[in-house]
Amino acid sequence: MSTEAIPAEKPKRNYNALFGLTLLALLVLLWVLLSFSTSSFATANNISNLLRQGSMIAILAVGQTFVIITGGIDLSVGAVVGFATVTTAMLINSGLPVFVAILITLLIGVAIGLFHGFGIVKMGLPPFIITLATLTSLRGIGLLMTNGNSISINNDAFQEFSRGSFVGVPNLFWMVILVGVPAYIFLHHTRWGRYLFSVGSNAEAARLSGVNVQRTIYMAYTLSGLCAAFVGVLLASRIGIGNPTQAEGWELQAIASSVIGGTSLFGAVGSVHGPLLGAFILATINNGANLLNVNAFWQRVITGVLIIVIVYFDGLRRRGSK
Amino acid sequence: MTSATQHQHPAPELEPGKVILELRGLEKKYPGTHALKPVNLAFRAGEIHAIVGENGAGKSTLIKLLTGVMPRTSGDVIWEGEPVALATPHEAMALGINAVHQEVVLCRHLTVAANMFLGEENVRYGLLQQRAMVRDAQKIINDLGFNLPAHAMLGDLTIGQQQLIAAARATVRGTKFLIFDEPTAYLTRKEADQLFALIRRLKADGVTIIYISHRMEEVFELADRVSVLRDGTYVGTRNIKETDEAELVRLMINRTIEQIYHKDEFPIGKTILEARQLSGKGFENVSMTVREGEIVGLYGLIGAGRSEFVTTLYGRHAKSSGTVLWDGKEVHIRSEHDAIKLGMALAPESRRDQGLCLNLPVGLNLNLPIYKRISKNLLISGGEETKHAEQQIAGLRIKTAGRHALASSLSGGNQQKIVIGKWLNHGAKLFIFDEPTVGVDVGTKAEIYRLFSTLLSQGAGIILISSYLPEVYELADTLHVFRRGKLVATHGFHTASHEDILTQALAEKQEKPGGQP
Repeated sequence: MSTEAIPAEKPKRNYNALFGLTLLALLVLLWVLLSFSTSSFATANNISNLLRQGSMIAILAVGQTFVIITGGIDLSVGAVVGFATVTTAMLINSGLPVFVAILITLLIGVAIGLFHGFGIVKMGLPPFIITLATLTSLRGIGLLMTNGNSISINNDAFQEFSRGSFVGVPNLFWMVILVGVPAYIFLHHTRWGRYLFSVGSNAEAARLSGVNVQRTIYMAYTLSGLCAAFVGVLLASRIGIGNPTQAEGWELQAIASSVIGGTSLFGAVGSVHGPLLGAFILATINNGANLLNVNAFWQRVITGVLIIVIVYFDGLRRRGSK
Repeated sequence: MTSATQHQHPAPELEPGKVILELRGLEKKYPGTHALKPVNLAFRAGEIHAIVGENGAGKSTLIKLLTGVMPRTSGDVIWEGEPVALATPHEAMALGINAVHQEVVLCRHLTVAANMFLGEENVRYGLLQQRAMVRDAQKIINDLGFNLPAHAMLGDLTIGQQQLIAAARATVRGTKFLIFDEPTAYLTRKEADQLFALIRRLKADGVTIIYISHRMEEVFELADRVSVLRDGTYVGTRNIKETDEAELVRLMINRTIEQIYHKDEFPIGKTILEARQLSGKGFENVSMTVREGEIVGLYGLIGAGRSEFVTTLYGRHAKSSGTVLWDGKEVHIRSEHDAIKLGMALAPESRRDQGLCLNLPVGLNLNLPIYKRISKNLLISGGEETKHAEQQIAGLRIKTAGRHALASSLSGGNQQKIVIGKWLNHGAKLFIFDEPTVGVDVGTKAEIYRLFSTLLSQGAGIILISSYLPEVYELADTLHVFRRGKLVATHGFHTASHEDILTQALAEKQEKPGGQP
């Protein structure tokens, strides 16, 4: 599609693009600095590793962003990832074909998302509460299913996937593209994307304009659940086990990536490329800190400080541009 | 209070008297706009002084200058004979200048008493004296004649009651000069009456009142004098007894009333919608029809059941009994979506809460109802999206930086045009306008009325809800009067007098058996 075909969003898109650029600039700057200050950063091995590290959070952040745009939050994604590693492992070990195991796991993610939609729309629970409940109970269900043990996956080909690469790019990063491109089109070039924004801005106005608000909310949480289950499959492949306690705290990393990427927690503001960049900025910070031998405890502190700094400056720039 | 001030300077056109606040050449310039051209005006102690003008006439700017929210560009403000800077809101409050705003800016989750004393709490040894505050607040409320509990949560009160509390709050801080900015926009008639009683009482206590309103009948009911602003220029001041609505409107817009209520005659076609003995939450047993080329006016007090009736028609709420016919066939409208699919369009009462996605672009707001139609193969056609938005912006003369500007950056009148404009591309057959001109200036009103004619000429029908009688009186082909959830009377165009209609809408005492159409 030509760029002329979609000028309706032009300044906003230019602005988004500009913001994307400054994030990209930040990412490049980090990479340049790390290349000079460490000998091991700019190696093919490390870059591949970094892309792998960032990919899974990036995919989570995309789903999370859909939810945040509607004015909600999905705290369950980390737990869904952990749970999905368990179901993937169990289903593969039970002898099902790998693609069937993956499909069922993805459907479980969809079901969890639908459950969140149900809790919000039909039971009137705040998104924070219903997804917090899932966060804790899903970990518990996973532990019950595994008795607290890890399940080794008896399928080498499945594990091979996450280690492999295609035309020099790690497969996991291809998965980001596989999710990111449709997500971008969905958010910016379909009416469902517009509806997400309208619900986040003013649900009542959207409803009176004929937008099916309930369906839109279901959709946002379902997509987030689906992304999380997909990441669970990828994680299972990467670590070769199913373990419900995996991906601890990933929901917060996903939210942080989204917010660094310019998503507003008040809803109605967000993009797809922003959270993706946000996720890789976070991954770079962690990777660089490792290479620089920064104490792992300090890494957490640094990450926290950087989140504040990045989002603060973004807020300043936005206000300035008005 | 001030001693009689002698005016050495060329003073505004009024006889010397107790002038509490005088503006001499007060002026405000923003980069690019001259928001307020030099104004000479004097306010007398204890008067109710109305200020009228269209949106953008400079009323808000004047308020902001007087309350110290913004610095003036030039000119002098003389308070009780002394020049004052009015550089900060705090300085204005210390002098005794306060304002009550259109939207209640108080804390809904605190009690009435806590709100009354917010910022000036009664504290002893670092502890709040809650009981004393509730007691004091209750005393003030009782003195003012409001029947409200001081310990209630503010959010549990109606908007109107909250507005009364906001006004009462202003009275407790030694206010000498109180500005009301469209205080009745969200009030019921009863609440408005209570507010008016409060205002008169303040006047009797010697407080000077500035009363800003779009509603002419309120200006004539309350004010002693009225000043008119137009395009940032002070046009003049009149004693209320020596002027009339026609003159004020002429001063405000340089146009006559006839030119505002523009009504073309269209042939009445076949019935679009018929409601038969429809009942639901807030109304019962309402029957009416809307035909092609017809404006059906619903008049009544706020809370009379008109909005509830139309939102039920629109599928927002479920009906409890009765039937709805569309195009002669019975239909079951279970959601807004169903209603829109049939060909209904609703421009709701509250722009801010129901009408607009304020932090999204103008273009998105205008296209929201038609995204389904302008999508092909799941993707939105960008060309169509642009075309529709630009068409409405140009056709309705929406003043905006462009379709990408956020809806929140527009003035109230232009926002209202979006609320209406989003339906014009949808090809609806029945348009429901719920108080389409509240908070809208006279010029925009006239544009909205002309738009009605365009819709009618295309064979659409219109339901027009208004609490402003002249509006429905001058525009509606059929006028239904609502009272307490019932349709109590029906008139043709100009077949009843204003007085009769008002009586039918009010008549609290004569309880007739319900249900007569």
